[in-house]
Amino acid sequence: MARVGVFVCFCGANIADYVDVPQVVEEVKRIKEVKFATEYKYMCSDPGQGMIRDAIIQYKLTSIVVAACSPRMHEKTFRKALSDAGMNPYLLEVANIREHSSWVHQKDKKAATNKAMDLCRMAVAKSIANEQLHEISVPVTKRALVIGGGIAGIQAALDIADARIPVVLVEKSPSIGGKMAQLDETFPTLDCAQCILTPKMVDVASHPYIELIPYAEVLELQGFVGNYKVKIKKKASYVNFKTCTGCGACWQKCPVKVPNEYNMGIDKRKAIYTPFPQAVPNKPVIDAENCTMLTKGKCGICKKVCLPGAIDYEMQDEIIEREIGAVVVATGYDMWDPTPYEEYGVGRFKDIITSLEFERMVSANGPTNGVPQRPSDGKVPKNVVFIKCVGSRDEAKGIEYCSKICCMYTTKHTILLHHKVHDSHAYVFYMDIRAAGKGYEEFVKKAQVDTGTTYLRGRVSKIYKKGDKLMVRGEDAQIGQVVEVEADLVVLATAVSAPKDNPELARLLGISYDKYGYLSEAHPKLRPVETAKAGIFLAGCTQAPKDIPETVSQASACAAKVCGLFSGDTMKKDPMVSTINNEYCSGCQNCVKVCPYGAIITDEVPVGHGIKDLRTVAKINEGVCQGCGSCVAICRSMAITLAGFTDPQIINEIVSI
Amino acid sequence: MKKLTYFPGCSAHGTSEEFDSTLKLVLKTLDVELEDIPDWNCCGATSAHVMTENLALALPMRNLVLAEKLENTTMGIACASCYQRMKVTKVHMDENPELAKRINTTVVEEGTYKGTVDVKSMLQYAYEDIGLEIIKSKVTKPLTGLKVACYYGCLLTRPKNITKFDSPEYPVSMDQICEALGATATEFDYKTECCGASFSISNTEVVENLSGQILAMAKESGAHAIVVACPLCQSNLDMRQPDIEKKQGVKYDIPIFYFTQLMALAFGYPVDQLKFPKHIVAVEGALANIGKFQPVPEKVKKPIKAVEAESEDK
Repeated sequence: MARVGVFVCFCGANIADYVDVPQVVEEVKRIKEVKFATEYKYMCSDPGQGMIRDAIIQYKLTSIVVAACSPRMHEKTFRKALSDAGMNPYLLEVANIREHSSWVHQKDKKAATNKAMDLCRMAVAKSIANEQLHEISVPVTKRALVIGGGIAGIQAALDIADARIPVVLVEKSPSIGGKMAQLDETFPTLDCAQCILTPKMVDVASHPYIELIPYAEVLELQGFVGNYKVKIKKKASYVNFKTCTGCGACWQKCPVKVPNEYNMGIDKRKAIYTPFPQAVPNKPVIDAENCTMLTKGKCGICKKVCLPGAIDYEMQDEIIEREIGAVVVATGYDMWDPTPYEEYGVGRFKDIITSLEFERMVSANGPTNGVPQRPSDGKVPKNVVFIKCVGSRDEAKGIEYCSKICCMYTTKHTILLHHKVHDSHAYVFYMDIRAAGKGYEEFVKKAQVDTGTTYLRGRVSKIYKKGDKLMVRGEDAQIGQVVEVEADLVVLATAVSAPKDNPELARLLGISYDKYGYLSEAHPKLRPVETAKAGIFLAGCTQAPKDIPETVSQASACAAKVCGLFSGDTMKKDPMVSTINNEYCSGCQNCVKVCPYGAIITDEVPVGHGIKDLRTVAKINEGVCQGCGSCVAICRSMAITLAGFTDPQIINEIVSI
Repeated sequence: MKKLTYFPGCSAHGTSEEFDSTLKLVLKTLDVELEDIPDWNCCGATSAHVMTENLALALPMRNLVLAEKLENTTMGIACASCYQRMKVTKVHMDENPELAKRINTTVVEEGTYKGTVDVKSMLQYAYEDIGLEIIKSKVTKPLTGLKVACYYGCLLTRPKNITKFDSPEYPVSMDQICEALGATATEFDYKTECCGASFSISNTEVVENLSGQILAMAKESGAHAIVVACPLCQSNLDMRQPDIEKKQGVKYDIPIFYFTQLMALAFGYPVDQLKFPKHIVAVEGALANIGKFQPVPEKVKKPIKAVEAESEDK
């Protein structure tokens, strides 16, 4: 006869305020199989787990029910407590009386208590039919995929590769480097972004454990943690990277000029181009949309001037496959488009630019050789107005969240302006100055003193043109008056927004994303680098806006997670998987169709009864099976059993209430 | 012939009589017949909505209910304030049937609100329902040479989620209508600034400051005249102009036209039908530019403008 122990948790006040816990304990004690039942303030704490361990031994319990929070939260904790007491961990059942009762029925304690008692009765009934289960071992492919070659992807790839684990790094543009490669200097130390980034880019290209695939996209991901298979599309570059020497003759002679993305369209690049001189790999690609040879069949100059003969107009997109065990997603961010700010005249006034455009202008390798210029007439601006929170913290026109980096980069911009144009004056319209970070507040304070920047607390309500100046009208809330500033140049600190391709990528990878398009972590506090899908991790701004130090930290955290995952030759997996009873299987293959993980294939077995022919049956790959139970529900001949959720367990639950 | 339900509002019979009468001329040319709402009442602006919600919604609702008795699906409103009150009420009623039921009890004698009539300002009606192409086709005397600053004021395109017409910050519909008439619309950044509205009576200084800035910016943009679609904007910019000039020590001499006056002019109506004598600022100087226009290349245009503005400011 089963001997069940029940442990009901208060969860501080989370459960106890809305569920009468002692009454629940009294109720379960009336079930004859329950040999021990108790309550405790924090069941998950060490003393709480100790109570479970002691009771198992003292009362010779055969299964355990913990009535507490969601099993997603602490099932592993309690399973370990069972193991520690020498009991099979899968003899545990968790009754979720927090998320499923106390939290959702806060207005009716009696109903919440009744529901908690029902949930406990069901869990006890199910646990009586629980069987001993054992973890499954699955082989692991020790190779990681990193998607995105900005600083997050670069850091993650290098850290993983330094642990001698092969990495496939996929970057959609022709060069790695990402947004950081567009920056001039970085806050709060004013390190030159190029100086600290480009050596890392070179390390990626030369690392024996990194396979760099630039100008490519991920098309498909199949499989499961430790055993993924990825399809990657290498976009046709029309340049054979093996023979190209990167001499530059082609882009010098190319007659087609198009706006240069790297310089935010301030200057032009050619149709055959490397994004910037420090690009890695430093090989050009042909922009097929703008090349006249590829669009109209006219030109062909680059092929004529290419001495190694690396140009190939016939090149096609190529699809390659790699087997990998884990994925790090590091797709970065987009700059928010400020067009909705019509009162600023965005789009009408040329001398209103975004912060990234300003960054390119003050960059030593930028289109204006490091000196800011007014786009309208090329003059060096003297009065520059910086407007913060353009898009950020604006529910009406933009997005609700704080983009986190704008306060700091705007401070940096005032310094850079001061360095480049000595007789300039900067004005900053701000809502708050959010300078939380090591050395950040000090950086802002010092910049305010050194540059003499005028900080005006308030929002800008209008920008209009007066002669060749822009008049910026806003509120100075500290003196309670409307002020107008005459500006030569206005710089908008535009918000950080999620990459527009993120939702599509999330669907392709089978992970979730939030309402803004940022990819979702498994737990906002305790699992910030993992996704809900095992073996897929997040680094950098693709998860939420963050600065470079935080991005690098998260990327290294991803690398640690990947290394941990690959630390053994096999990986342990929960035994809640389906099995097929060939005696009952009719080979209808409905289960093959409904399985969302592609875990079911078909097999041939002898018909039996002296007949020599073979018949088709379903076969489950327990490494791939995630235990969702779809196949169990669809199977007409009841040939499939899901461990941990067997028919007797489910029927016991139903009968108990 | 198209039919349009018309809510004239109180100003059409007084301060903005020239708006009302030229609107009727223009619509005659455009083959639109106006049907007045029978027994219409005050829209409630601007006092009702600062007093009680019930009154602020019930007054326009009575007009909406009466308008539903006519067969037309659209109501055109000349005055921007009337338009605003009527549109706000309609949107609230359509979004919140409970509220509509409650407010309807106040005007139960007139009938039940159904929400079948759309509310448009005359500017919106001209732009959306008639269209630039048709307006262009009716022009017999193009206004070539006349540079105008189109001034929309605060109400015609705001709030965005209520009016759902043009841009709340930099609207262009009136500019495009004026261009269709042959005039040149200047780049005018003050097109949605506040003119001071009803402070004209209670605190005239506010209006003189605000309207003064609008006039200055219009002058700077190179405009010969300002075009409006709101009676209060017109009266503030026109009637207060001499005082503003005295105060600032600047001679503006910018007449304030209703867009319908310019339409009627371009459609070939004789000047004596356009009620120009009602204006405080004389219109003749501005209208003399019609026909004088010499097209200049875009590049040369801007510096010339700047010089003009500077010399006149001094």
